[in-house]
Amino acid sequence: MELNRRSVLAAIGAGTAAAALAGCGGGASSAGSADGPAEGEITLLTPIYEGADGKTLLEKKILGGFRKKYPDVKVNVDYTTYAQLNEKITTGLAGGLLPDVLMMGVGWIPPFAAKKAIAELPETLASAHDYEKRVLEPSRYDGKLYALPVVLDTRIVVYRKDHFAEAGVRKTPANWSELRAVAKQLTRDGRVGFDPFSIDLRQCWETFLFANGGELFSADGKKVLFTGARGVEALQLFKDLVKDGSADYARKTDAGAPSNVQTGKASMMMTTSALWVQVKEQNPDLIEDDKLGSFVLANRRPAMLQGGTLVTQAARSRHPAAARALVEYLATPDSILGAAEQRGSVPGLSDLDDTGYVKENQFVDLSLKNLQHAFSEGGTAAWMEIREKIKPTLEPAIVGDQSAKDAIAELGRLAEAAIGRM
Amino acid sequence: MGATTVVKARPARPPSPPETSAPLRTGRVPTGPGRRRRRAGMLMVAPALLHASLWIGLPVVVSVALAFTKYDVLTAPEFVGLDNFRDMLDDAVFRKSIVNTLLYTFFTVPFGMALGLLVALALHTGLKARGIFRTAVFLPQVTATVAIALVWLWIYNPGNGLLNTMLAFLGVDGPAWLASTTWALPSVILVGIWQGIGMKMLIYLAALQSLPRELYEAASVDGASRVRQFFSITLPLLKPATFFVLITSMISAFQSFDQIYILTDGGPANSTTMMTYEIYKSAFREFRVGYASAQSLVLFVLLMGFTLVNKRIMGGSRGHN
Repeated sequence: MELNRRSVLAAIGAGTAAAALAGCGGGASSAGSADGPAEGEITLLTPIYEGADGKTLLEKKILGGFRKKYPDVKVNVDYTTYAQLNEKITTGLAGGLLPDVLMMGVGWIPPFAAKKAIAELPETLASAHDYEKRVLEPSRYDGKLYALPVVLDTRIVVYRKDHFAEAGVRKTPANWSELRAVAKQLTRDGRVGFDPFSIDLRQCWETFLFANGGELFSADGKKVLFTGARGVEALQLFKDLVKDGSADYARKTDAGAPSNVQTGKASMMMTTSALWVQVKEQNPDLIEDDKLGSFVLANRRPAMLQGGTLVTQAARSRHPAAARALVEYLATPDSILGAAEQRGSVPGLSDLDDTGYVKENQFVDLSLKNLQHAFSEGGTAAWMEIREKIKPTLEPAIVGDQSAKDAIAELGRLAEAAIGRM
Repeated sequence: MGATTVVKARPARPPSPPETSAPLRTGRVPTGPGRRRRRAGMLMVAPALLHASLWIGLPVVVSVALAFTKYDVLTAPEFVGLDNFRDMLDDAVFRKSIVNTLLYTFFTVPFGMALGLLVALALHTGLKARGIFRTAVFLPQVTATVAIALVWLWIYNPGNGLLNTMLAFLGVDGPAWLASTTWALPSVILVGIWQGIGMKMLIYLAALQSLPRELYEAASVDGASRVRQFFSITLPLLKPATFFVLITSMISAFQSFDQIYILTDGGPANSTTMMTYEIYKSAFREFRVGYASAQSLVLFVLLMGFTLVNKRIMGGSRGHN
């Protein structure tokens, strides 16, 4: 072969690309053993413990206790938000700097477990505390335990009792025809009867899908199940509410602002259990005057979306024993109660049902009493891709650019393609 | 009439490069002093070349290679040929993002350039406190887009935002600017135009200050009006600056990301999503790095195509220095 400048450059180029591609391979590896002493410096990536209060809670109270128990482990905390969690994990994986302990959302376990990015946990941890029966389901993949629940965030309907009384509505809607009628009845000048859109559209539609008796995926996560009538009807209801004038997609609660039900701009709204803490801070009078009520959405069945934050261990942690110790510690009753109180979330341990926090927070109490009606998103290894497609695919239907049937069909096509790529 | 005698100023051609004693591209291997000069030149260029190869060349090569793979960061890349490009043809949201990007560029670049030039002309006069005005116009350019976007979020707030409050004062019921599929893209375009004026103004101002006074004096003697001087002298002489502003603005418009990220998240109903935003979503939210690389390649080809077309139309950056 003649060796000239062009051939040398071509060889260098090909070699560079090959080396880069090989280097880019995150590499699937099995979980490291967590045997041995818990020691070393580890990193925790968390989208919760927000704000100064959250930071104090985590670093002083929770990690303070952890340091006492494991003095040879140093924990560095990397704070982020759920909006940026994906980026952090992606860049961490690409750069080989994935934190040792990660906090993730419900639905995230199957994609990361399927790719062996997170470590399997011993089954004994599932019975270490008195978990509510359903709570551990999102922590599993292929029957194995990969994470422990820290807090749950449920999606429920919160309503204004004073608006109900004013409009002569005596009971909360038990199905969608009642919901639509009540929403119409409650709609007055400058206020909508129902605001389903102030929570993420994906999670909102999923709650309605579940309440309509639908499912997202088959048990093995390989088949899309939402493309039938149940999914279409759930989306059509949003369109009908908008058409009635009793819901308005453009009048969502602004980020960080008091919710529409607090300001009286909506009489009912889909929200999370965390709203109680926000109301207590911003409008305590609404609680003192007993103006807020809550119920679980129902149509063919009652359904409450169970989101939340789970803690898991990276498969390639250099200090697996220390990482495992932290995972276990963050899921102890004390740590869970602290996190739940700070965020207004639902603690998933029966041990905590009688605490003052649970008894005082009506939305948490409602959620715990209805955990048998809880459903979770995810359930497929392709979830990270599919979850991003739901909102932009359904939105055109809500704003009137597409029919509900077409939007659901398009979403189904995208989901099937994503699953097919797995 | 004197004014009609003004000849349209033509951008001057750049001077020819000086003759070198040792031609570098003759194909012959230089000897003696020529060889030493060449070696010295290569040595001087080497650090920059190494830097560019490592930090620009390598990522570009890897990005192009990844465009033909299925790569999710978690597992090693797998060669899939043209599958990513075929997927792109079926991706209605990405197609929408191309249309939105073109619309955004079509409005922000010419309007921004026209406004930038107007502001530069205004600030090129003997205006009092023009330093303060220049700073004020340039300020959005050096302010973090996150901060700017937050301010615009408040301006566009349908309930108590500045814009709707002003419209209400005039008896007009303003729309939900960023939540309406009709108004969201124009609203984002307005932010883009406003934010880009500063840099365009700065480049035009620098170019205006370097224009030869003699031409204007001669034109005045011939009786040319200010408007005639502008169209016959200023605009033609600003051609290299205009080409530069056009290309950089176009690239910047094609890569607009942060205001979309904060203002609209690409919504409502994908009405404001842009190519860069879709690339970001594919890579960082959906873990489809191979697909994102293919999308980046399309963006690169589009940008290169537009740049070449512009160069052909405008004759490049040759002209007055």
